[in-house]
Amino acid sequence: MGVLANHNSLHRQFPKITLGSNIASSCQRGFKVKWHFARPSCLRACHPAIATLATLQFPPLPPCNCRPGPQQQMPLLGTHPLMVAHFSLGLRYNKGSSLPAYEPPSLTLPHSLTSASRSKDEEMLTVVGRANPMCDGVSRRNFLKLGGLSFGVGGFSLADLYRAEASKGLGTSSHKAVINIFLGGGPPHQDMWEIKTEAPSEIRGEFRPIPTNVSGIQICEVFPELAKRMDKAAVLRAVVGCKDRHEAYQCLSGWFPDDLRNVGGRPSLGSAVSKIMGPTDPAVPPYVGLAAKTQHGPWSDPGSPGFLGAAYSPFKPDGPGMDNMKLNGIGLDRLQDRRLLLKSLDGLKREIDTSGTMAGMDAFEQRALDVLTSSKLLDALDLTKEDPKLVERYGDGKPYKYQYDGAPTCNDHLLIARRLIEAGVRVVSLSYGRWDSHGQNFKLVRDHGGKLDQCLSALIDDLESRGMLDDVSVVVWGEFGRTPKINNDAGRDHWSQVSCAYLVGGGIRGGQAIGATNRLGEHAAERPVHMQEIVATLYHNLGIDPKASALVDPSGRPQHLVDHGPISELI
Amino acid sequence: MNIQACVRFGLVAFSSLWVLSVQSADRIWIEFHSVGDHSDSKEAPILLRGSDARWQLAVSQDGTTGPIDVTQRAQYLAEPSGIIQIDSDGMVRPLQNGKATLRVSRDSIQSEPVTIEVSNMDNPLPIHFGNHIVPIFTKYGCNGGGCHGKLAGQNGFKLSLLGFEPVEDYEHLVKESRGRRLFPSAPDQSLLLLKAINASPHGGGQKIVQDSHEYRLLRRWIEQAMPFGSENDPVLASIELIPRERTMERDSMQQLSVIARYSDGSYENITRTVQFESNNQDMAEVTPTGLVTTRQLAGDVSIMARYQGKVAVFRSSIPLGASPTEWPEPKTNIDRAVLAKLKKLGIPPSKKCDDGTFLRRVTLDIAGRLPTVQETESFLKETDPNKRSRWIDAMLESEDYADHFANKWNAILRNRRTTPESQFGSFAFHDWIRQSFYENKRYDHFVKEIVTASGSIESHPPVVWFREVNNVESRVEDAAQLFLGQRIQCARCHHHPYEKWSQSDYFQMAAFFSTLEKKTGRSNQDPMFVSKVANPSAAHPKSGTGLKPAGLDGKTLDLEATGDPRQALAEWMVDRSNPFFAKALVNRYWKHFFGKGLIEPEDDLRLTNPPSNPELLEAMANDFIASGFDMKQLVRDLCNSETYQYSSDANESNLSDSNGFSRFYPKRLQAEVLLDSLDKICGTQTVFEGLPTGTRAVALPNTAFNSYFLTVFGRPESSTACECERSQTTNLAQCLHLLNSKEIQSKLSDPNGRSSQWIVSPYSREVHVRELYLAAFSRQPTPEEEASALAYLAKKEAKLHEGYEDLVWAILNSKEFLFNH
Repeated sequence: MGVLANHNSLHRQFPKITLGSNIASSCQRGFKVKWHFARPSCLRACHPAIATLATLQFPPLPPCNCRPGPQQQMPLLGTHPLMVAHFSLGLRYNKGSSLPAYEPPSLTLPHSLTSASRSKDEEMLTVVGRANPMCDGVSRRNFLKLGGLSFGVGGFSLADLYRAEASKGLGTSSHKAVINIFLGGGPPHQDMWEIKTEAPSEIRGEFRPIPTNVSGIQICEVFPELAKRMDKAAVLRAVVGCKDRHEAYQCLSGWFPDDLRNVGGRPSLGSAVSKIMGPTDPAVPPYVGLAAKTQHGPWSDPGSPGFLGAAYSPFKPDGPGMDNMKLNGIGLDRLQDRRLLLKSLDGLKREIDTSGTMAGMDAFEQRALDVLTSSKLLDALDLTKEDPKLVERYGDGKPYKYQYDGAPTCNDHLLIARRLIEAGVRVVSLSYGRWDSHGQNFKLVRDHGGKLDQCLSALIDDLESRGMLDDVSVVVWGEFGRTPKINNDAGRDHWSQVSCAYLVGGGIRGGQAIGATNRLGEHAAERPVHMQEIVATLYHNLGIDPKASALVDPSGRPQHLVDHGPISELI
Repeated sequence: MNIQACVRFGLVAFSSLWVLSVQSADRIWIEFHSVGDHSDSKEAPILLRGSDARWQLAVSQDGTTGPIDVTQRAQYLAEPSGIIQIDSDGMVRPLQNGKATLRVSRDSIQSEPVTIEVSNMDNPLPIHFGNHIVPIFTKYGCNGGGCHGKLAGQNGFKLSLLGFEPVEDYEHLVKESRGRRLFPSAPDQSLLLLKAINASPHGGGQKIVQDSHEYRLLRRWIEQAMPFGSENDPVLASIELIPRERTMERDSMQQLSVIARYSDGSYENITRTVQFESNNQDMAEVTPTGLVTTRQLAGDVSIMARYQGKVAVFRSSIPLGASPTEWPEPKTNIDRAVLAKLKKLGIPPSKKCDDGTFLRRVTLDIAGRLPTVQETESFLKETDPNKRSRWIDAMLESEDYADHFANKWNAILRNRRTTPESQFGSFAFHDWIRQSFYENKRYDHFVKEIVTASGSIESHPPVVWFREVNNVESRVEDAAQLFLGQRIQCARCHHHPYEKWSQSDYFQMAAFFSTLEKKTGRSNQDPMFVSKVANPSAAHPKSGTGLKPAGLDGKTLDLEATGDPRQALAEWMVDRSNPFFAKALVNRYWKHFFGKGLIEPEDDLRLTNPPSNPELLEAMANDFIASGFDMKQLVRDLCNSETYQYSSDANESNLSDSNGFSRFYPKRLQAEVLLDSLDKICGTQTVFEGLPTGTRAVALPNTAFNSYFLTVFGRPESSTACECERSQTTNLAQCLHLLNSKEIQSKLSDPNGRSSQWIVSPYSREVHVRELYLAAFSRQPTPEEEASALAYLAKKEAKLHEGYEDLVWAILNSKEFLFNH
């Protein structure tokens, strides 16, 4: 698929529309706003209020033919979701398809391209329009609607908006993404990013702090490589709001499994993002859970879709969905034969379905057949396609010690996560190690910490060298902290009063240590950060306003993503 | 007013005779409300009391087919000048005390004079917090769920959601935060105003413009030392939309005007403070000022006006204007209501579908399966004119009907199997539901037995509903949503934003369940439920007062402590006069058969979510009640209607019809039905763990049977009472699974499957192709289709088995197979 060569000239013809502040602020509030794309004269004639809402700077459009087809589809709009709207014309065509040369005076609007001349895989990026062209021939359905807190009123979802954005075809800049590294079991907060040097030895333990490249911030000695990259990261030393429950759920969603259980539970961050933003590429799932099954199930929870339903579950690379991406039992030739046969027999008139389901199915079918010949997703999961030197730099995390019923310290997962994001995934969750150090706390942290230091620092370097660090937020945390007092087995037990987290990338202001526990590391003494603030920061980094966005649960109620706002120190 | 209306209609009728000679416009007039005693007065009671008063006019003129709106295009002349000022969009504002005469004119036609009275310019009326200030917060979204209206407020300032608790709002504004929000001595310096105009940085940005109407009102209220108003002050009684109904052309406009009426008989025009919403933005849009603009689509559309918990609806018909020479003669109540609407809209319905299409459609919808080849062949041969209705009866008597509808109800009754121990109850409840449909249990009895279920699972399986719906809140909410189509969840924590339900309504409903107790039965998953001896009551969460039980909008009941209050609840629910019960069910069933509810979502019957055809809903509900809540009769009525039997093919004018039901709207087969149908086509069986081979997916007793197929095609987990849990959307994973999964490939190449049998069959390939088409589509292949299929098989001569597999593969990936159309 190639991007139209003279895209820029098109773009010049349709310069930016800057919306007035009133619209921008209503968007922020999450109320319904409609942005119309049409010829300004028509726009005013049909809806005078719109002209007052937006500052329109359209050049006059050339005359166009109204060609009321049975069904019109328009791969037309690109937009930025919130605040300032940026409308541009983004058209993509299949390689080799003949294009009408772009001459402004004789331009026919995209709607008048017949479906046949457009590639099928474009159609899924478009919104199905109806046979109701306006005076300029633009189907009325082709407005982008930003649905906020609406009850039962039809409209495009936010996901459509983001998909439309994706269809702009504005090049290859990386999208915003999140890697959620879950340290199952609960890492000891006092042995990670804040060493309690002033505490007595039965609390302090054996670790010494080491300086970092940010003066004034010291972290545990097992993280020398991360210490060298402290200027990019932030450590949160007093995370609160956790519960003493061995579940990844809290770190994946900011909520607990009991919340809203009656309507199916709260969705995890990745599922919410899948719902709100949709996939960047229809052949690549927006949310992937890498955690392999652990004996203690909740530690390998890839993230629950909650009330959003199974359609928004994370893709698991070991499930049937994965198998279906490789040809099963038939060869490529036979698939091609079948494809042709299907084409000759699948004759039901598509126009009878105006809901768009049939057209959508056709588009997905086309995409599915493409996936079977080459899949970006499968390639991303295949580390043999990666530079061996880089694989080595991440390390393999073996031997898997202290694992028992928890996740292995699989360093490869971090590298795969990066590859997945490059392929178009928005959120990757993974479970790293078993940090439930009731015994031998210090040996365990030395082992797991050293490995984490290697692969996490490699990930930071890797993302940075690819120019992705500002787009990809990485969060490293567990479900709770551990007891200040060391027990008889040189271990630490559960301590949900306070916990810790490490954040890097995604455009945050690095080089910060936020919050502090008291002298003995028992509870938050300065700037407690609620778990949900961390999740809210991730949403924020993805470009979703966690305060203004809401998901409608099955009872029809809008539910906010989280109750807390992002960490102001970081954004 | 009445006289005027008569005159006007007379003129309309008269003018239609003169269409050729008169372009439009015989008469122009201002639309009025019918307020109290003035309703008979010819003079318009437009009163503007105080400098804050405003009045939005709605001006109409006779068009060729009825009145049209000309508010934006009329000229306004008021005499004497200086009393009032009128904008070009018909907004009247007072200038000084006195009376003025207003005339509206357009195209040299002038209206009757209308008197407008201005008073209280010097001694403004006291401002009432609840009636005048709170609506401003609602209109500008300050108290919305995304801002200060959420439970925790926003940045320290909290308002009640959509202003339903003025007392709380007053406390927060005036007294909280050491009173720093308002300064009566320097009103402009009040934080409230500074934030609202964004002079002091405001997270929500600028909400109102300095010196706007709202600003001045707020300012004056602060200046008056923030009066709250007294208990004796009038309260809002109702709001009224003008006009209420109108036939509008495509791409036309209509100005709406809204009047608030108070308990003391006073009234004011509140158009600019009302929130408007269109229920179908593809058809019509509405601006915040109440200007409706229709688009290109024909159909019915409603515009809601919401104000302080009151709702008024403007209904607009946008005719397509096609006028076919003849309309079909309606035979049933359903057809009558559907055709009445279609006639009004000028949308002629499609033709009746052919027998094969009908057979496939109705068998899928009633029995959840494809008709067999034999059934299809004999049905197509049959010449009896009543064969369709006979087939409907036959399907309703089949066990497949019971399986299919038990599957539907099982999910929304939340019959789950979460642990091995819960299996017994889950199976028992499913069996009970299935049996109820098989026996055609009256719907009221069905519901009553669930809502009042007591004892153990063995003795009364519906107690499983109480096991799964395991607290008072979810019982109230599920019962209301399932059986009444009322989503009252919102009212648990605050007044329902789009309905009249308050927290009291919610907890009065909850009181019905307050005496229910769970007792240990055989095991934790096999409990018993009993009603203990106690006075049913639920505490209001704010006041703490104990509330007695009452149905929604029903009387408060004094119930004996010894009885089971759920009995009273059930009786109230199933009473013939209950306004929700029958409608909720018929709408749910309409959606099942027609793919789209008269109200969408199907279990959200709200004043603010009106049906697309109210007369139809009403008629069906009445028929359903009259039949004695007979479920099979309802299905019979639906399927025997012409409407159900229209073709999905569009005629020259009804392609874009999306809610008039002028043709059948295709729908994707649901997960279980699709899997069963696939098996039928492939000649295979899917085996579910622990169940005998041959158990169909649609007959599964609960949703805990693992199947990637069913999950990926949207089977619900039965964890909510909402049908929306079932996902009918399409995605890539579904396509990949159908096109290329081990599961499908193994069905295609099954040694006992259809393609394997064909290889050894003595019949010709033509016979096989025809058999496949009959099995999958209930029709013969067209000559072209047959030719393509045979050509493919010839090409695969060497590997005929593969050829057959590929053919079946292509059929089950075709849209004609995947959809019921």
